[in-house]
Amino acid sequence: MPELRKDPVIGRWVIIATERAKRPDQFSSAAQNLPPEKPCPFCEGREQETPPEIYAIRKNNTPPNGPGWELRVVPSISPFLRIEGELERKGRGVYDIMNGIGAHEIIIETNQHIGNISDLSEEQIAQVINCYIDRTRDLERDLRFKYVLIFKNHGWSAGGSGIRHSRSQLIATPVNPKRVKEELVGARNYYDYHERCVFCDLIRQELELKDRLILDLDGLVAVTPFAARFPFEIWILPKKHSCDFTSMDTETRINLGRIMKKVLSKLKKGLNDPPYNYVLHTAPFRRPKVGYWKSIDYDYHWHIEIIPRLTRVAGFEWGTGFYICPLPPENAAKFLREIEV
Amino acid sequence: MSELRRDPVNGRWVIVDSDYPTKPESFEYEPNIIRGGGTCPFCYGNELLTPPEIEAIRNPGTGPNTSGWQVRVVPNKFPALQIEGELDKRGLGIYDMSNGIGAHEVLIESPYHNKDIPDLLNSEVEAFLSMYCRRTIDLIKDKRFKYIMIFKNYGAAAGASLEHPHTQIVALPMVPKNPMEEIKGAQSYFEYRDRCIFCDIIRQEMQEKERIILENKHFLSLCPFVSRFPFEIWIMPKKHNSLFFNMRSEELPALAQILKDTIHKLKVVFADVPYNFIIHTSPVNGSERGLEYYHWHIEIMPKLTRTAGFEWGSGFYVDSVSPEKAAQYLIEAKV
Repeated sequence: MPELRKDPVIGRWVIIATERAKRPDQFSSAAQNLPPEKPCPFCEGREQETPPEIYAIRKNNTPPNGPGWELRVVPSISPFLRIEGELERKGRGVYDIMNGIGAHEIIIETNQHIGNISDLSEEQIAQVINCYIDRTRDLERDLRFKYVLIFKNHGWSAGGSGIRHSRSQLIATPVNPKRVKEELVGARNYYDYHERCVFCDLIRQELELKDRLILDLDGLVAVTPFAARFPFEIWILPKKHSCDFTSMDTETRINLGRIMKKVLSKLKKGLNDPPYNYVLHTAPFRRPKVGYWKSIDYDYHWHIEIIPRLTRVAGFEWGTGFYICPLPPENAAKFLREIEV
Repeated sequence: MSELRRDPVNGRWVIVDSDYPTKPESFEYEPNIIRGGGTCPFCYGNELLTPPEIEAIRNPGTGPNTSGWQVRVVPNKFPALQIEGELDKRGLGIYDMSNGIGAHEVLIESPYHNKDIPDLLNSEVEAFLSMYCRRTIDLIKDKRFKYIMIFKNYGAAAGASLEHPHTQIVALPMVPKNPMEEIKGAQSYFEYRDRCIFCDIIRQEMQEKERIILENKHFLSLCPFVSRFPFEIWIMPKKHNSLFFNMRSEELPALAQILKDTIHKLKVVFADVPYNFIIHTSPVNGSERGLEYYHWHIEIMPKLTRTAGFEWGSGFYVDSVSPEKAAQYLIEAKV
């Protein structure tokens, strides 16, 4: 009998196929007809092919927009949102409209032409995390923005392009995105009732049950969520309660780099370098006087969600918001635990 | 400058890129080329390869599970939910779960392996649409079911696992999140204004005209103002009605006509494009919210782009072609 499970934070139901579940190794990413690889504008020496850099980690005071860097942030060449201008809201009949103000930046994680972040060193990944924090803090000063969404599209089916150079993206938005709000509201409702953080409860329960635990390492855990939407969906959470990713101390940044490298290497090795997205879930900017998210310091808990793209989202998922996961997360966790990296 | 538009029903924001709209010829999509070959369980002569049929429209004198049908409904061989058993909801620590009770049926739209909706006769389209209603009416006799979801995945890229065109019908033991959100959005609008938001949308669209693709006596097809995907299309009944299966008999031929012509136009702009469509309707069996304020409609989503991290993380969508522009291409497409 298939099982319906409810996500304890946002209340989304998923259907976990149990009887007709596939074996974990049947999901291994098949070779795809990928579009031909394009010349890479992100490699060292091609700095003129991107818009001027916003941020960089450079050696020996090398000048901006030339070689000599380890990590570089540039504006997107085809931004969804633009940084210039005042925010204007207007109505038109039943519709509401805003102009497309925001920031869209590309974080080039290495000067080498390496495709998967799991092939960078732990220190390099920690440096990427540092950069996420620095950029978010910088954008927080711009009062037009309410949220910074940091994510990665790895591989073609995950929305990646024909340029296979490891990078992440950052988008600052003038409104709190719907999906983020749902999670914040869900966490707050749980807190109002229990006076505990739902994610802390979740971590406690997962550490006790262990069947969905992939790694428990240096104060961070990697688990497959109880109500996984996708096969091999993975969450990485800090054990210590914190709503805000940017408040992480130096040691945690290094430890996060380590667990991310381990988890993403397991995925790459176990499933033949599958396409995936990861998305950082963190609190919106908590500026004084906003006041709306009063208990957020206590009720919300930052984490990273990794979604391998091994199945296709179809009419049922679009229509219902219900997901069908053809692999129980317990089987996925067991498979990933056993892969040596 | 791109524009942010907010869906008046569910509050979702969409970024519409109006600076550099993508031209139809530059979308890199995976076309759905029907190759045939192999043994198709949905073709004539292979009726015994599916589970026994639930209902069919048949030529007189033909028996169940033989050839000679026009529309055939069978249980899904790999159901996401199972029909037998009592609903058993329970908790596990902080988690909630339930057994997977429900019905999962496959409706084979026609006996023709390589004919999609635009290739069928009007009467053939009408026949399978009437079967959507018949199946719904039959399924809701089972009081465990609170929502009937009817959708089509056309082409592998849109999630279809078999080539032969078919629709799926899923009966669910609870109202799923997306319809619930829509209904709540429509409800709060109704409480404030005493009007159906969809009726207001139709009025505004008929006035502004720039997003309307086709119109007949009973229906409109249009590119919604807040399209999540390029060339997203809605088909809406002009007369207020919250339940799809309550359609009046004179509406059925008009729906067949507009559905056929709209998908035909879409396929003229994008040859062999994979797509999904979903019927949005009100819940049933004690969950009948929204009789006054919800308005059934069909949402058609061509599979032209790949959803990436930004959409998953934010619930924000980026539409690289404004619906006004998309409507223009579709209006001009000759069928």
